[in-house]
Amino acid sequence: MIDCKEIHDRIALYLDEELEGSERAGFEAHVQSCGACHARLKSEREFLGVVRSAKPLHTASPELRGRMEELLGKYLKLPVATPSLRRQVEYSLRLGKGSLPAFANFRTLIAASAFVAILVFLGFWLVTRESTYKDREGLIAGPSEFALMAADTHLRHVRGQLPLEIDSHAPQEISSWFKDKLPFSVKLPNYQESSGQEKLYQLEGARLVGYKNDYAAYVAYQMRDHPISLVITSNAVATPSGGQEIAAKGLVFHYDSINGFKVITWADRGLTYALVSNLEERGQQSCVVCHHGTNDREFIESLRPRS
Amino acid sequence: MEFSQAALDYLDALYGYALTLTHDQGEAEDLVQDTYLRAVRAFGQLVPNSNLKSWLFVIMRNAWLNQLRHRQSGPHFIDLDGEENQAAGWTDHRMPDPHILYLRKLERAEIAAAVDSLPRLYREIIVLRDFEGFSYQEIATMLGCPAGTVMSRLGRARAKLRRMLKAWQPARAAKAV
Repeated sequence: MIDCKEIHDRIALYLDEELEGSERAGFEAHVQSCGACHARLKSEREFLGVVRSAKPLHTASPELRGRMEELLGKYLKLPVATPSLRRQVEYSLRLGKGSLPAFANFRTLIAASAFVAILVFLGFWLVTRESTYKDREGLIAGPSEFALMAADTHLRHVRGQLPLEIDSHAPQEISSWFKDKLPFSVKLPNYQESSGQEKLYQLEGARLVGYKNDYAAYVAYQMRDHPISLVITSNAVATPSGGQEIAAKGLVFHYDSINGFKVITWADRGLTYALVSNLEERGQQSCVVCHHGTNDREFIESLRPRS
Repeated sequence: MEFSQAALDYLDALYGYALTLTHDQGEAEDLVQDTYLRAVRAFGQLVPNSNLKSWLFVIMRNAWLNQLRHRQSGPHFIDLDGEENQAAGWTDHRMPDPHILYLRKLERAEIAAAVDSLPRLYREIIVLRDFEGFSYQEIATMLGCPAGTVMSRLGRARAKLRRMLKAWQPARAAKAV
């Protein structure tokens, strides 16, 4: 039997919905049969009711609300997948269920890591051969400004007009170099070494590139003598658009063919990426062969259009 | 619901909490902005179906603590847990409670002013529980303390608020007469 002292101690818990089951039932049974405790509960309930009726104590000014709406709209202007793309993603996820690549759990800002991106790129190349014909028919929107900048930056680097500011094969070293130079964090993954797989690509170095009155990160890779460029900026500065949209791994990728370069742009976790390459068919096929039968292969295959 | 819209739904609550922490309108607005900026940057870390409101409040509290650290003054927490160990100051509830009758007549602004004048730790816990409706466990997670501490601090905060409101009674009563 609960005594009055215990009931008094539990009044706040009861009113705050923190009592459950037999404790709550015991409390209610006592209060119904005890006038003093009933009065005390009633008084406390009324007191809290009066206090809580003062809510809200403060409200944000219209100016603050306007600024926050602008801020959220600026940073979270995420691409919306079409129903067909959603179906494609769902199909891909079903295929990949229980066998996602080991890097699927990465929670870094470069979650769609360069390695993933390269694999996706290969998948894209396979997928988007059709898009060339669509491009000719004018069915695909033109490339975004960011994609054009990335392609131009890649071209200048390939021509030797854009030297790297840091030469390093170590992702960690390059990530550290970018620190405090950019208004966002760049954290390059080290998937190949950690996975113990044969290196499919080589990190070469990085530099800053100017874009829209701010700096973007430029990272250079080599993949069997084919240069690959990764450009990263804030989602506030550039949002991916244009080209052919393809959904994979919960992201929407935009594929463009610009002056012979294949450019993929996408946004993830507040950052916008562009991956540029001129990978040839043979090289792509050999990479696919390397991953035949692996989860990566399944992932690439999941990007194929379903007829 | 879209994240940005859902996050905006909590703007007033976040602003109120920011004022509770900073007690300064300008600083509160800056803190709200900092909170939303951190939220959009950490958006990818938000676990699906998790409590967005609680997540935003935790971000705000951490942002505020960071600001204090950067000022190199450190948060000036006053340990109120050792204070006011007496009972919650109950009057004789077997009789009709004139205090409650009086409280009902209080203006909302007066209650708000009384809450605002509580010590910060008390003010914070009243806001989190009585105005924002967080559970003891959610508050404990936000404050980084055991749920038992939340319960005891809340009890003392309410008792103090009750006494403060009661202390205003003579002036109100005099007006009424």
